[in-house]
Amino acid sequence: MTAVEPRPAGPLAELTRRLTALGGLEVRGGGATRGAVTVRTLSEALEQATHALAAAPGARLADMFADRDARGVTTLRLVWACGPGYLVTEAEIGGDEYPPLSDIAPAAFVEECEIYEQFGIRPGGGKPLNRVMLPPHAGADFPRLGHAPSRPPVEMHAPHTVAGQAFEFPFGPVRQVGTESLYYGLVTSGEELVDLYLFTWHKHRGVEWRLRGKTPREAVFFAERAEGLSAVATGLAFAAAAEAALGVEPPPQAARTRAVALELERLYNHAAAMAALCASTGLTVGQSAAEIALERLLRLNAAAFGHRYLFGVVSPGGIGRALDAGALRRDLPGAYGELRRAADALLATNSFLDRLEATGKLTAEQARRLGLVGPVARATGLPVDARLAGPAPGPYAAHPVVVITEDAGDVLARFRVMLGEAAESVRLIGEFLDAGTGTARAELPETGGSGLGWAESPRGEVLAWVALDEGGRVTRARLRPGSVRNWRGFDDACRSQNVFTDIPIIEASFWLTVAGTAR
Amino acid sequence: MPLWFARGLRRGVVTTRYPDRPEPAAALLPTPPAFRPSLLTAQVAERLVQACPSAALRLSEAAMIFDAGACTACGRCAEAAPHAVAASGEWELATTARSALIKEIPLAGEARQ
Repeated sequence: MTAVEPRPAGPLAELTRRLTALGGLEVRGGGATRGAVTVRTLSEALEQATHALAAAPGARLADMFADRDARGVTTLRLVWACGPGYLVTEAEIGGDEYPPLSDIAPAAFVEECEIYEQFGIRPGGGKPLNRVMLPPHAGADFPRLGHAPSRPPVEMHAPHTVAGQAFEFPFGPVRQVGTESLYYGLVTSGEELVDLYLFTWHKHRGVEWRLRGKTPREAVFFAERAEGLSAVATGLAFAAAAEAALGVEPPPQAARTRAVALELERLYNHAAAMAALCASTGLTVGQSAAEIALERLLRLNAAAFGHRYLFGVVSPGGIGRALDAGALRRDLPGAYGELRRAADALLATNSFLDRLEATGKLTAEQARRLGLVGPVARATGLPVDARLAGPAPGPYAAHPVVVITEDAGDVLARFRVMLGEAAESVRLIGEFLDAGTGTARAELPETGGSGLGWAESPRGEVLAWVALDEGGRVTRARLRPGSVRNWRGFDDACRSQNVFTDIPIIEASFWLTVAGTAR
Repeated sequence: MPLWFARGLRRGVVTTRYPDRPEPAAALLPTPPAFRPSLLTAQVAERLVQACPSAALRLSEAAMIFDAGACTACGRCAEAAPHAVAASGEWELATTARSALIKEIPLAGEARQ
């Protein structure tokens, strides 16, 4: 077991200095470790600090969440990605209102809505807050992290008519076989999509609420189910947060084993996204080819770790399932070769590429403003990747990832990014195996603390923040899967000169989950 | 399109012959636990119930109730009491009656106090 002290460096150190210079601020030594720094601010300085961080080059608002302690005091925390590392600002909120931070950093809006639903506090200014997480039947006695808002959130709606010509086409929440529950409100003039809104709360399971009172090893079982298709990344972010809170570092062999699982998760998800792209473009033989590759990758997961979807691989302090490195070395080239052959054939199919090119376009500016992550952001040219943030020392510090980016911002760019990342994952897995993997696990002390953890899932950066009481049990755990960020870019992508039949193609290229958002 | 037609024909049928023939890939799946009743004392059962994250185990007067419908085959019970629990290897669990998934395993020794 090794305790690691926070050592802010580079842009992170510069921002910490700037925040301290704003006055009334305090840098806390304890708490988040390994590449993350926590700065406690007075609530009066929150707006000013947010202005400073939003204007700082290279700083990105990655998350915002609240916490209510035993005294009934609500604390607001903002997580900023700053170069390689993260900065957490926290401020106690007196009363039921705080400054309207989404006016300063637009990426905060969805979180403002979530905080209102869970804690009943809202940004000043009276702006309408949408229902995003809790279902409409959630009354005052519904399990919440704080208390119910005084008034229910408003239902999200797009304009129902545009110059008297558009109408709303409801679609979902029950859709075709195997697809998650999601309600689309499509506003159309007949062919072109004018506007779109989503109801994402159908799959709310109160995961963050359920984590309270559990030990980190009990809680990771629930954390990884917040977004099952990112079980490794979500579990890893949660475990890293708990380890940071306890000042524990996993053994290097275990850290590399986790990284192997993380890259296997990326491989099978990108294969699944490719199959979904073929299905959405009506290319059934291509879909079958991609699904053959997907099935081989899932079987590879089972052979390597004993679970097709890699559940239970990550355990706080180390690893929960042993890796069969021999099986992985033996079967990975064949499974990846299957994926590559299908991808090469798709890249030579004009009718497929025509549907992808210039569809669902996003610009780098849109991605930056909305705080998008993962392949969606990287396809606009933004090199956003949580693997670049460490922790150092860690598997990705010794084996740096080559971040794949494209500039076009359309579905084709996202597809190319995914293919490039699949190749990069295979390279990284080989390096991790050569460096040595293992099942050693660090002991977790039964003590208190708080910490931030992160991981790069197939759909982007996953963040977790964990606070533990003196007995080492969770008092508050925040999970922020990549899907939470990227759904907010989905409607922008759909509105950009697209028609009805483009929507499934755009959805496949985003490859998000509703469960991760509703969690 | 002719490219894909030819590819499809060349690749042929890749689906397995299950259920006419055994499915080898099933050996890789995690499976629900099997309990050894002779070693399932009240103390061991208590430990297993505590270890189960999905509430698939509970205690009655003189038995442990196992609900395979709530089990995720996570293996935490086998980790908590490896001498009394092992993976069953059973994965064909489908049934038309929910009650068929619930099993009562008598506790070894005296009834729980």
